Amino acid sequence: MTDILPAKLEPAGALALPSGASAPTVAPLGVFGRPKTKTGWRSWVSTVDHKKIGIMYGTAAMVFLMIGGAEALLIRAQLWAPRQHLLSAEAYNQVYTMHGTTMIFLVVMPIGAAFANYLMPLQIGARDVAFPRINAFSFWCFVFGGLFLNSSWLLGGGADGGWFMYAPNSGVLYSPGHGIDFWNLGLIIAGIASLTGAINLIVTVLNLRAPGMSLMKMPIFTWMTLVTQFLLLFAIPVITCAQFLLLFDRQFQANFFNVSQGANPLLWEHLFWVFGHPEVYLMILPAFGLVSDMLPVFSRKPIFGYPFIVFSGVAIGFMGWGVWAHHMFVSGIGPVSVTVFSLTTMFIAVPTGVKILNWTATMWGGKLRFNAPMLFCIGLITMFTIGGLSGVTHSVAPADTQQTDTYYIVAHFHYVLFGGAFFGFIGGFYFYWPKVFGYMLSDKMGKWNFWLMLLGFNLTFGPMHILGLQGMSRRVYTYDANYGFEIWNKVATIGAFTLAASILLFIVNIFVSYAKSKKMEKPGPDPWDARTIEWMIPSPTPEYNFDPIPTVTQLDDFWYRKYGETEDGRLVRIAKTEDVTQPEHEAHVHLPSPSYWPIVTAFGLPVAAYGLIFSMWLALIGGLIVVAGIYGWATEHPDDPDAAHDVDHGPDGGHASGDDHDAVHDADAGDGDADSATDDEKEVAPVG
Amino acid sequence: MKRRSPLLMVFGTIVTIVVFALFAMMTWSAIKGNDGKPLTTLEPQGPFAQDIQGLVIPVFAIAGVVFIGVMGVVLFIAFRFRDRGDEETADEIPKQLHGKTWAELTWTIIPAVVLLVIGIATVTTLATLNAPAEANALHIKVEGQQWWWKFSYDNSNAAVGNGSFTDPEDVATADELVIPVGREIELSETSNDVIHSFWIPALNGKKDAVPGMITDWKLQADAPGVYRGQCTEFCGLSHGNMRMLVRAIPEDQFAVWMKNQQLPAKVPAAGSKEAAGETQFKGLLCASCHLIRGVNDAQVGSPDKGVKTQLVSGVAPDLTHFATRGTFAGAIFNSHYPNPTDGPTANQPFGQTCTVKGSSGTSDILGNKVDEKDLPACPQANQFDAFGIPYASAPGNPNNPPDKVALADWLRDPTKMKPMAPLPEENPYAGGRRRGMPNLKLTEEQIDQLVAYLNSLS
Amino acid sequence: MADVATTLDTSFDDAPDPDVAHGGHGYATNTGLSNTKLAMWLFLASECLLFGGLITTYLLYKIPAAGHGPAPHELYDIPFTSISSFVLLMSSLTMVLAVSSIERGDNQRFRLWIVATALLGSVFISGQVYEFSSFVSEGMGYTTSRSSSAFYTLTGFHGVHVTIGIIMLVSVLLLSHRGHLHRGNAETVEVVGLYWHFVDVVWILIFALVYLIP
Repeated sequence: MTDILPAKLEPAGALALPSGASAPTVAPLGVFGRPKTKTGWRSWVSTVDHKKIGIMYGTAAMVFLMIGGAEALLIRAQLWAPRQHLLSAEAYNQVYTMHGTTMIFLVVMPIGAAFANYLMPLQIGARDVAFPRINAFSFWCFVFGGLFLNSSWLLGGGADGGWFMYAPNSGVLYSPGHGIDFWNLGLIIAGIASLTGAINLIVTVLNLRAPGMSLMKMPIFTWMTLVTQFLLLFAIPVITCAQFLLLFDRQFQANFFNVSQGANPLLWEHLFWVFGHPEVYLMILPAFGLVSDMLPVFSRKPIFGYPFIVFSGVAIGFMGWGVWAHHMFVSGIGPVSVTVFSLTTMFIAVPTGVKILNWTATMWGGKLRFNAPMLFCIGLITMFTIGGLSGVTHSVAPADTQQTDTYYIVAHFHYVLFGGAFFGFIGGFYFYWPKVFGYMLSDKMGKWNFWLMLLGFNLTFGPMHILGLQGMSRRVYTYDANYGFEIWNKVATIGAFTLAASILLFIVNIFVSYAKSKKMEKPGPDPWDARTIEWMIPSPTPEYNFDPIPTVTQLDDFWYRKYGETEDGRLVRIAKTEDVTQPEHEAHVHLPSPSYWPIVTAFGLPVAAYGLIFSMWLALIGGLIVVAGIYGWATEHPDDPDAAHDVDHGPDGGHASGDDHDAVHDADAGDGDADSATDDEKEVAPVG
Repeated sequence: MKRRSPLLMVFGTIVTIVVFALFAMMTWSAIKGNDGKPLTTLEPQGPFAQDIQGLVIPVFAIAGVVFIGVMGVVLFIAFRFRDRGDEETADEIPKQLHGKTWAELTWTIIPAVVLLVIGIATVTTLATLNAPAEANALHIKVEGQQWWWKFSYDNSNAAVGNGSFTDPEDVATADELVIPVGREIELSETSNDVIHSFWIPALNGKKDAVPGMITDWKLQADAPGVYRGQCTEFCGLSHGNMRMLVRAIPEDQFAVWMKNQQLPAKVPAAGSKEAAGETQFKGLLCASCHLIRGVNDAQVGSPDKGVKTQLVSGVAPDLTHFATRGTFAGAIFNSHYPNPTDGPTANQPFGQTCTVKGSSGTSDILGNKVDEKDLPACPQANQFDAFGIPYASAPGNPNNPPDKVALADWLRDPTKMKPMAPLPEENPYAGGRRRGMPNLKLTEEQIDQLVAYLNSLS
Repeated sequence: MADVATTLDTSFDDAPDPDVAHGGHGYATNTGLSNTKLAMWLFLASECLLFGGLITTYLLYKIPAAGHGPAPHELYDIPFTSISSFVLLMSSLTMVLAVSSIERGDNQRFRLWIVATALLGSVFISGQVYEFSSFVSEGMGYTTSRSSSAFYTLTGFHGVHVTIGIIMLVSVLLLSHRGHLHRGNAETVEVVGLYWHFVDVVWILIFALVYLIP
């Protein structure tokens, strides 16, 4: 809470005080001046730039993907043959729990956050997110939460209760080790990241759009980010509540899940799934957004039914709150609840189906180019359809009593989350790579990547449908020969290693393409002939994003700057790309200064969490670090006074006087307001 | 236009074909490949499972049609509307169509209508499945605990139970639920520790057994046979080893079986090895957890009787009629050599301690390779046991003798055979109680006597 | 469809007018709400679900299992809690007065009302500490029953929120003393006030649902 305090330490610029009242100038309160480095590791740990933070989210997620992927391969190796001894039952239970937890909280969600951070401000024409320092804090919380969670492997073993962590099996009586404590505290820390991130991104979308960009002119990815962040905003506190209850049970002998004290284990299930089902949608919606923005580019047509795609996304967001108990059809809830949740679950398929059909209609009549991103889009459409259809079969509650907790469910959600979200993300990586890093990934390797991934993916998860229908339970560390599970398990294991190879190929592509790119021409601002405004700016994105900030008049604004109709109604190119994109130039834009306090504050949290597990002294130290971090943050001078008048700030910038409108912006008068608002605000209220 | 890579096109085509072939094979496997799959959900053997099947098959069919439709349309579009790279059309830009309201309405309404139909069918089936149990239903209490199932029969002699499971004539068994064919079985499920889930796929879906709650469920088998099941709610260390099976037998045989179950344990002849086993049993830790009626009723720890229990769940399998059961330790090991009439797949024991003709029976119950010479030959044919029950149970039946090797292995070190957490010193929160059976460090002589005794408990 | 889009465009088309200072806040935004204030509203919306979960838990566990100590409702001292609830309610009033003072630029009054708010909050917290200790002495510890765990967790979470609020008030006071607060950034105080009112409203809900409804 204290974060908000410095919001107005500084005069908010000329516009802020229409009365002309001048605020007193404030001497810097900070312990040390704000860091200035723009290169080297210090520039990364102190950055508040949404682009660097986005890249770090992506990188960290890929590292965690390696960990989660290795866990997946261990699982598949164990199930290669009946009665294998590769993993003990104890180890297997930890590995599958951590696989699920890692993939959900440390891979899919952060990749969504990576795109949201990097891309969303560009798509709405903003200079940064609303609270740059809070943004950095969110990222560091996520990283420290993830590292803390995974450090359990070195400190006595991972959590062993499944990612759903049902009580009372997650109590100390049934899981006396510290694994579940690590899980609990690690996810609470990661939850702080999600919650602060959600607030930040929602405010950004609602408040910092470029002039003319009304909500219904926003690119769909931005819309889906908005919906996703609202889901997080309301889902995170519910799981946090449940985790606190579990924490108090485990640490302080509370009785929330103590059955001998009359506790009801279904309490956990309800709290968990009230969070857990919106969670599913908030993992998939960012990928839906990416696909909705990529397909039109490669079809050379606008998205079919923009308002329907947007509203179906919003509808999924709303309906996602009314279906949680379909995870609990066999849990002992009453038949009326089962019936109601069965029906609501069926009907959430409608908006989902609308999306699929609109994407298909977008391609219809287009002029399709099958570059790697397009292949991944088509991969998503087809693979997600399979996941969606199996989803409908679960919504039929009586059928679900046969299917739930079998490999059929495992197949379903991997088709949705891997075939859906992950295909979309990899496609997004190929698509946005030039914008982020300034070089193209090899399209040819990308296509190999796609086909190999499609093969591995289907070989891995396709057979699980049949394994489940033929009776193989989830979460069993082994099976017997005479259940008849062996053949399909072997196929799935082969598939899993193929899938791993395809991800390896993606990583190889990154490095090979980088090496080759040095000899090749730069891709330019608009390598794909794209439609949205983030392609107007140089690749890689300059630190200041847009200069000037464009005024948006319609959906696909950038495309309509390039193409127009002749008098006889024929579509022709009306401008060369070079003429409508922004040239790269010396930065004259004042940007929020970096800060060390977000990482310091975030670092206190895992220290305190270790303390809760091992020693209260450590918890005290962690708490002190957090308090010191917040104090340093709050009292930090909003800007580095020494840097205030350097070249960064433009020729006429004496910002301390509050006259912060530099020449560049004034030149772009049409959108002066939002522009300078952003700018002022950067100076004043990196409240974050 | 960029040069296309032929190798890539070939690979892409192969992958597409492989994926479609995979789905075709999966469909075939679901329809025709259920032999040798004792847990399959696709071959219902009772009315409830049948109802579910009848509901879900059309849904699968609809899903299949939609699947083929979407795949077909996408492939068609990909082919038809691809950029052919012709020079003369290079500048042509497709019409910038932003949408068609009729199209949107069509594909909103049609799926909604289809789902409405599925929804109505679902609600109807739910009503059928949730109808109150029939008046003559056999009422059985099902208790899950780490990592085995306990079954208690209500007032077993009467047509209708009295709601109590602890009357003198009520009996309790473990791992195996014996039921009469053709009669509705009403289950009241609960748990003594964590959440478990009771699932016999051939007879009905699953239902969670939740501690502190009673959940109701029903079963019915249309034909005699063995129907296997598996706990399906993750319940800790040996979740994968928590199995159960239902033996459905004709009503008259059920009466015979029940009568036998109601008797106290058989008393072994004085001076026999079995009698020595009984003495061992009473003198060892066994007797503080496992009940053998008529032998250690006062010794066994139980919260009901105010005797401190050794176990977190408070209860261990009742061994009074151990030898009438075909499996033990959570139904993961066969206590008798297999019986060919036990269903087509049960010919091969789950853990193999004998060699079956025609199989490569060269691994023991833990899957370790062993020399075939060390194992006895499995019996090849058998009809019925003394009760006419189609499974191995009758002592002295030469065709399916007790599997002494498996039971002895178990007694030698249970935690090696099945992961458990039986050591109180490893869990400071358990108040000295165990989860599972510890290694009692028995001598070979003790093991031999105990095996003989347990196998005499018919 | 184009119609739909157009309609929405007009209704959402809130691109800021550069000549209008929105609501007297520091800078113009698309919504007209400042970033900070919008962020606080969103945060409070999120908090609703946290307290929703805790209140639900308490209502579910209201009655302890037989033989596990007294039920919280047997120990409630309704007159006492009513007074402390009234104290907290009054602190909302003083908070309103503080905000309006700073908006008028009256720093003297502003500090007075902030001190009053913080003091009233502290009185409430002291009341809660007293209540907890008397409950413990009457045999209802944190681990006594499911109801006691739920009661202390819910009211404890609320107490922590009030405490954080008091810390924020003290910080605001310090800022004011150092001359950092003035009419131009009165919004900082307003945002703190939002939080304070929210915490009050949650208490009214807790008081009604937990204490008053039998």
